[in-house]
Amino acid sequence: MAFAIEFFLRRLSQGLLIVLLVAFVIFTLLRIAPGDPIRIILGPMATATAMEETARELGLRDPIPIQFGRFVMQVAGGDFGHSFIRGKQGGASGGSQDGAMELSQRASVMDLIATALPYTLILAGLGLLFSFLIAVPIGLAAGLNPNGWQQKLGLYMSSFFVSLPNIWVGVVLIYLLSAKSGLLPAIGYRNIAYAIIPALVVAIEMSPVMIRAISVSIASNVQEAYFNVGQVRGISRNKMIYRHVIRNAAVPLLNVFGAQMIGMLLGGLFVVEYIFSFPGIGLLTINAVFQRDFPIIQAVAILASAVLVLINILVDFASTTIDRRLKF
Amino acid sequence: MNTTRRRFLAGTAVVGIAGAIGTPAIFGKAFAQASNTLIFAAAGTVTGSWDPSSHTVAPQITAEGFLFGRLTLCPMTPDNPGEILPDLALSWSQVDEHTLEYKLREGVTFHDGKPFTARDVKATYEYASDPGRPASAWYPGRVDVEVVDDLTVRLSTKAYGYPALNFWYVSSFLPILCADDVANPDTLKQRPNGTGPFKYVGTTGDQINFQAFDGYHGGKPMIENLIWTYVPDANTRVLGLLNGQYHLTERLEPEQYASLSKEAGIKTDRSLSSENKYLHFRCNKPPFDDVRVRLAAFHSIDREQVLAVVGEAGQASNCHISPVKFGFTDVEGYPDYNPAKAQALLAEAGFPKGQGLPEIEYITSVGFYPKTREYGELISAMLQEQGFPVKLTTLEPAAWEEQLYRRADGQGPGHIVDVGWITGSPEPDLVLRPNYHSSFALINGINDPEIDASLDKERNALTTEERLKVLQTETLPLIAAKAPSISLFSSVFLRAMSDKVDGAIFFPNGPIDLSKATLA
Repeated sequence: MAFAIEFFLRRLSQGLLIVLLVAFVIFTLLRIAPGDPIRIILGPMATATAMEETARELGLRDPIPIQFGRFVMQVAGGDFGHSFIRGKQGGASGGSQDGAMELSQRASVMDLIATALPYTLILAGLGLLFSFLIAVPIGLAAGLNPNGWQQKLGLYMSSFFVSLPNIWVGVVLIYLLSAKSGLLPAIGYRNIAYAIIPALVVAIEMSPVMIRAISVSIASNVQEAYFNVGQVRGISRNKMIYRHVIRNAAVPLLNVFGAQMIGMLLGGLFVVEYIFSFPGIGLLTINAVFQRDFPIIQAVAILASAVLVLINILVDFASTTIDRRLKF
Repeated sequence: MNTTRRRFLAGTAVVGIAGAIGTPAIFGKAFAQASNTLIFAAAGTVTGSWDPSSHTVAPQITAEGFLFGRLTLCPMTPDNPGEILPDLALSWSQVDEHTLEYKLREGVTFHDGKPFTARDVKATYEYASDPGRPASAWYPGRVDVEVVDDLTVRLSTKAYGYPALNFWYVSSFLPILCADDVANPDTLKQRPNGTGPFKYVGTTGDQINFQAFDGYHGGKPMIENLIWTYVPDANTRVLGLLNGQYHLTERLEPEQYASLSKEAGIKTDRSLSSENKYLHFRCNKPPFDDVRVRLAAFHSIDREQVLAVVGEAGQASNCHISPVKFGFTDVEGYPDYNPAKAQALLAEAGFPKGQGLPEIEYITSVGFYPKTREYGELISAMLQEQGFPVKLTTLEPAAWEEQLYRRADGQGPGHIVDVGWITGSPEPDLVLRPNYHSSFALINGINDPEIDASLDKERNALTTEERLKVLQTETLPLIAAKAPSISLFSSVFLRAMSDKVDGAIFFPNGPIDLSKATLA
């Protein structure tokens, strides 16, 4: 128990520092990169005076450290601010030279994220499920038969999948499964059927890493002496696999899952949601980048880094419960 | 329960069979749309205000096409760019130099049920032409409107010193608002209330919902519901059309247009737009403050090769306005591809073979107009061949737009900027004055008294015939000779739709008339 408290306190304080650092980098980069949100808020022919006035109203002409300090205080109070571009109904709506929308008319960033998050969770969940369905049987078979055809199949399949760009896979799957055959819907979201093709794209992107990680981890355990010794002492091969090999392989797999898969999943979802016009966090963020909607980009960056940090903490903690040597 | 290999295999087989047989039954109609609802996959979306005088944004002008009526209607065809048809006005005439009279249609109502009268025209014109309104740049200047009776108005420009004829074509562009809404700008912002064929129902996320207006003066549209869905990615729009989720889409890339033209169940539409594509020179800084250097660049570019790259999305034109604009002419002596002439002009300007020229930044966008990166690279190579040390900067639309216009100090970044200019009326001044009159010159910063004088002369002409003559024989040739920008070609809009859609009419600036369209 004492270990758990000390572990979480130490890792959470480190994590908070990382999230703050990410927030500062994103916050600064947004403000120094080309592309002025005021031009998008007010439209192409806004006068220089109107642009300056609106920029001041939104606090964008203050020095960056002051803006950042204000932002951190706001976030500490649980408020991620309001979108520059989106109205209360959620739609993108820049370009009116009558000035930026009144604060009360602009969508709260947390509301936008709360609306989009369930869609992203559906897609991520289904994508992970499909990746497990693809990767676990192939990875296990390859790992248990390191010199057999199963290993070659695992290698070829993961090499094949890893070389397919997800944009291309998305377009091809929509064309084949939706446009040509009419089997499934593909664009936007109205029910779970709309998530199947995008989830397949996510799965194809994620499964190569999983196949490789599972097969390598299992194979290294199968080749260790304890696997054969156990069988000599009368434990069946299947029992050795289920009770010992998989357990021992789980620690590196958990690390791969935490460190790589969640990062890949987040990155992959952004692209996939954009291609499929899937109304989740990814689409919201990519549109926010195109529209220089700083409050949304900042909030998503902070939340994404916080999720990554938390998952890594949980993975590390879980690893210590599986392999108690890691406590020390 | 233990999972045996046999159970596992049996389970997966059942899932497989269900997948093969059951999926079409489960999902086959999962994305069929409600009947008589047309879904338009749009490349852009509207602003935060429904007040038409608050913006100059093309997608909102398209949305306003569904919602609002105008006094007149200009189909803007290349064969007859000056043609004017009735809309809310049934007839119009020039009373004198400063007065136009419009006789209005009787029995028209707004979406909220209020009757349309001369009072609404007065409120709209006086409000929208107020220089304080953001979109007032579209209009020639202030105008007073006299209400003669409920169905007659007179537009008067006498107090402002320019001919009323300047509103002749602009009247086909200005959406007519309800006078009560104009009196209450907050209402005007929050919801549109027009006399057009569709009324606004609401907005959900990136979807705008419209419904056929029972009281439309041209008869209730046969398409009951219209959904405008904003889909930023062009491939997604095309795939959504192919799988039947969308009925109509716009702004296709030439390759998409070509492949959709061969698809069963899809119809394509290719129509000349009111947009020309330009390369603007920053004329108020070296080296393009010298007309000889500008013309040398002009003569260095083979526009036929540029058009070959642009393909279906462009049409050759030798004029700084589109062929659907009043005044268009194939300008005699429009600078052609002539490397020898380019070299002579460079030498005369003191830059033989380009020696001594500073590095020239050519700014273009990617993902907004078709093929800009591709022809940008081609043009850069052509300019480099003549000795221009060109560096191509390709930016995504938000960054490009920030670089596009001149800033408070009068200067703009870079030296050459690629941009299109689209407007919704045959009125040529909507292009010419913002771009070439020194009081605006929004991008190139040209300050040339001869061009200013010529633009004022055509604007002050007393008859359309006289104005046409000045435009075609003086103003447009002068702009070509001074070359503050190169008009590369006229844009062609590429659209596609389900073959179930019939009777849609497309206007050269983007709006779509669906008032008589059907959806099988």
